Amino acid sequence: MESTQDKPMAPTKPGRLAASAALATLNEDYYRDLANAKEEGRPVVWITSMAPIELVYAFDGIPFLPENYAALCSSRKIAAELCQAGEARGYSQDLCSYALCTFGFIFEKRGAFGDEGPPAPDILLATEGACATHPKWWEAMQRHFDCPLFIVDAAYTVDSETLPEHHKSYFAAQLRELASFMEEHTKRKFDMNRLREVVALSDRSSELWDEIDDFRKAIPTPISQIDVFTCLFPLVTLKGIKEAVAFYEQLRDEVKERVDNGIGFVPNERFRLIWDLFPIYHNMRLLNYFAEFGAAFVTDSYGNAFSGRLDASDPFGSLAERYLSFFMRSAQWGKAELYKKRVREYHVDGIVFHRNRCCRCFTAEQPDVGNILRDELGIPSLMFEANMVDPRGYDDAQVKARIEAFMEMLEARKYPNESGAKEKGGKQQWISI
Amino acid sequence: MVSEFYEAYSNRHQLSERWKQEGKKIFGYFCNYTPEELIYSAGIVPVRIRGSAENIDLADAHLPTFCCSYMRSALDQGLKGRYSYLDGVVFPKTCDMTRALYDVWRRNIKLPYYWFLPVPGKRTDEAVEFFTHELRLFKESLEGYSNQEISDESLKQAIRVYNENRSLVAEVYKLSLSDNHPLSGSQVFGILRAGLVMPKEEHNAMLQRLLDSLPAANASSEGRVRLMIAGNNFENIELLQTLEECGGEVVIDDLDIGTRYYGSTVDENSEPLRALAERYLQKIPCPCKHPAEPRLEHILELAKSYRVKGVILVIQKYCDTHLYERPWIEGRLKEEGFPVLAVEHSDTGWAGGKFKTMVQAFIEMLE
Repeated sequence: MESTQDKPMAPTKPGRLAASAALATLNEDYYRDLANAKEEGRPVVWITSMAPIELVYAFDGIPFLPENYAALCSSRKIAAELCQAGEARGYSQDLCSYALCTFGFIFEKRGAFGDEGPPAPDILLATEGACATHPKWWEAMQRHFDCPLFIVDAAYTVDSETLPEHHKSYFAAQLRELASFMEEHTKRKFDMNRLREVVALSDRSSELWDEIDDFRKAIPTPISQIDVFTCLFPLVTLKGIKEAVAFYEQLRDEVKERVDNGIGFVPNERFRLIWDLFPIYHNMRLLNYFAEFGAAFVTDSYGNAFSGRLDASDPFGSLAERYLSFFMRSAQWGKAELYKKRVREYHVDGIVFHRNRCCRCFTAEQPDVGNILRDELGIPSLMFEANMVDPRGYDDAQVKARIEAFMEMLEARKYPNESGAKEKGGKQQWISI
Repeated sequence: MVSEFYEAYSNRHQLSERWKQEGKKIFGYFCNYTPEELIYSAGIVPVRIRGSAENIDLADAHLPTFCCSYMRSALDQGLKGRYSYLDGVVFPKTCDMTRALYDVWRRNIKLPYYWFLPVPGKRTDEAVEFFTHELRLFKESLEGYSNQEISDESLKQAIRVYNENRSLVAEVYKLSLSDNHPLSGSQVFGILRAGLVMPKEEHNAMLQRLLDSLPAANASSEGRVRLMIAGNNFENIELLQTLEECGGEVVIDDLDIGTRYYGSTVDENSEPLRALAERYLQKIPCPCKHPAEPRLEHILELAKSYRVKGVILVIQKYCDTHLYERPWIEGRLKEEGFPVLAVEHSDTGWAGGKFKTMVQAFIEMLE
């Protein structure tokens, strides 16, 4: 592979990740297993993100994340109709579009693959770990499916970096209760050694993810934000199985090779940005629009939220610690501190906040986090509104105009003596997306 | 008599300033999950942070506009210095907004004391134990702030005052069981609202005077369509007045500042912190808590015992937890024979226009 330094005027853009083929296989296998679960007698557990998915694998269950599936519906362009179907049942358009879309596909029995959608849950498992709306959404699904529901309460710590012991013990006690609940409803025995295996695999996936994230510090940064979001699927859904570990080893090696060879996703990288929060699933390509200005995303808050180290010698304790302390649920100062650290370590020029209209939990503090980064580090931010799953009302031209204005401002700040880019309207025409 | 309650609420900032001059400490708090008894027992006056009908100007720099108008307005009021007399603010963990607003307030409105209280989402024994622990930490923090110990006796005294308040309010509610009750729905709302912003012993004295002086009946409420109001935060009493202008009357509520706040007493015979933990976790839940069934049962029970003809369901726009429950609550009420008028609102437009037309049509249908 060529180095970008050799031919600055005709930079190479790395091709598709070789690991994507492996990812496609993982995806296919997962959806096949899910479709066959009932036949094979494996319990189907509909689970929220930030819930202890490791317990599901320890019982040989198949976890299904409706939010993941709603994202899939969105990228397959059926989310608008499904959200509308949710609204027709009385659910507000302002609700989380993961949920609204889910109500659509369960009420309409209409899936992402032109089928009837996922198999109904045998068990519903939710936490308040990510947001207070998850349990409400799961309660609504319980009323629809009339199946057992378990909610794991996750207390917030706002003033301290250390987790209070009683928060941990309350969470761990609920995990033990959950294990008995699973025993009762799956008619399977809980096996601590099996949980240890799963926890070790989950931990390994997270460790590899962290290594990959670390490689994003390289200049130029090796992979695109779209690749990061796409490669997140195993970390979200398959955490605890060995195939996920194998995939991340392959991905890590590939990313490392790119770094070793100085290959970046955006050749002649001129700007390095942070992406704050959810992808826009119906318009993932918007992320690449930034590349037209020579800008690459080098880190994000969303992907890293799914990584968390565990300790197989203390499964319940370390699961409690991990699910109580992931970054996105930290207090404002905690988020700001982490971003400040990342700004330095990843050589960041600006931060992009996707104001996800349907998510109050994670957008409420965005303005102030932006204010802190501006006041303390002089880091500018772009904030624009969209809805992660529901494409209705999304104005692509308006969003792009804002991005363009932001990039021009960054250009003037970072390269005040260069006028070349400005003549081309701020865009670098040599990138083909 | 009732005007006294209205005045206490509309002059709440001036009253607080006056207590302040008298040397009292005042804490603001959010949500009916704040165990006020603890604050009260530390010699501090707890007052509920409320929004205002004033335009929202300053809050938008700190909070997206797609957040509920209550939290936006409350923050705006804080940023404008309307709450500058406060010595502290307490945020219990209820919804995502309350949790996030703790950070936003703390960063942008400088006050001597802030406290975030992790309230469990469940009502199990483990949750009660966890919450008792949290209450102990909160108590220690209050002791540190006020530099004096909170004795069991002063906590028990606070519990008695609050329980008395709950029983007096229960008597006010009971009046509306009859068809010709002496207080209108909007008057009752005015009475409930005043209790949020004044020391409970004063509210108790006012309630006692009111109950002693009320006539047994008032023919003006006869013939009105009996209604229940359920849902959450609204500031504006015009909502209830509009219902009355259209021939209806609220005789009972399921509101965050109504039965979900004033219902359920604290056991005076157990260890006080544990008794508080139990009361707050086992009270009629708001939709931010799990499970949701006790609230539905509460609504249905009240609708039946107060013989309402219909239910007005008012939900703040962008209030996620209420919005998730809306189709279910609405559906179950209808199944039980109670027509529902559901309104998603930003706490404006209650006096006329579209809302009034909807109410007129609804009440005509009930008659």
